[in-house]
Amino acid sequence: MKKIKDERLVLKNLKNIRTAYVIQTLGIIGILGYDVIQGGMDRMMANPLWSVFMITAIISSLLSMNVSVDEYPTQQSPKKGFILSIIVVTFIAIAAGVAISLSSGVTTGVLIGGVIFICGVPPFAYLFYLRKQRHDEELDG
Amino acid sequence: MKNNVKVARVQVDLTQAQLAEQVGVTRQTISLIEKGKYNPSLKLCLEICYAVQKTLDELFWIDREE
Repeated sequence: MKKIKDERLVLKNLKNIRTAYVIQTLGIIGILGYDVIQGGMDRMMANPLWSVFMITAIISSLLSMNVSVDEYPTQQSPKKGFILSIIVVTFIAIAAGVAISLSSGVTTGVLIGGVIFICGVPPFAYLFYLRKQRHDEELDG
Repeated sequence: MKNNVKVARVQVDLTQAQLAEQVGVTRQTISLIEKGKYNPSLKLCLEICYAVQKTLDELFWIDREE
């Protein structure tokens, strides 16, 4: 099979993939929904489809950040926003860490606080990178 | 979008298939462009212009409707 070069067909192909993706997602939601009805949340989360679904959701939201950065431009400098969000993430991580330390021990608290912090930073770092790119583009004219 | 691709193509004595081959798309795409049912990218517009030796203005310009 040769590579499709016709731009119209490339676009059409992408639209077909989108349709297939929608159907696949509906199928996954259907299967997970059936699991919830049959055996509750635990059974649903034991299903490997759950991780597939979550990973896809995370990737699609990360990719759509690219779009939202253009759609909702901020006047604020990207650095200021980044520092602010890091402060908020740190605060949430410390609060969760302290709360969990009090109920189930310091080690668990530090661990979960650390995990929240580590998981919270990359999306904001990516957002910072995208906003900085846009910012620099604007400076260029 | 209305355009003058068909007229220009006939003037230089090309068939849809020949033009399609020159600009690197399928014949169906040329047909849809001529019927105004597909909006080509600027790159494809330029390729068509080179193939039929016309300018973008002559092929694709339409006056704004008041």
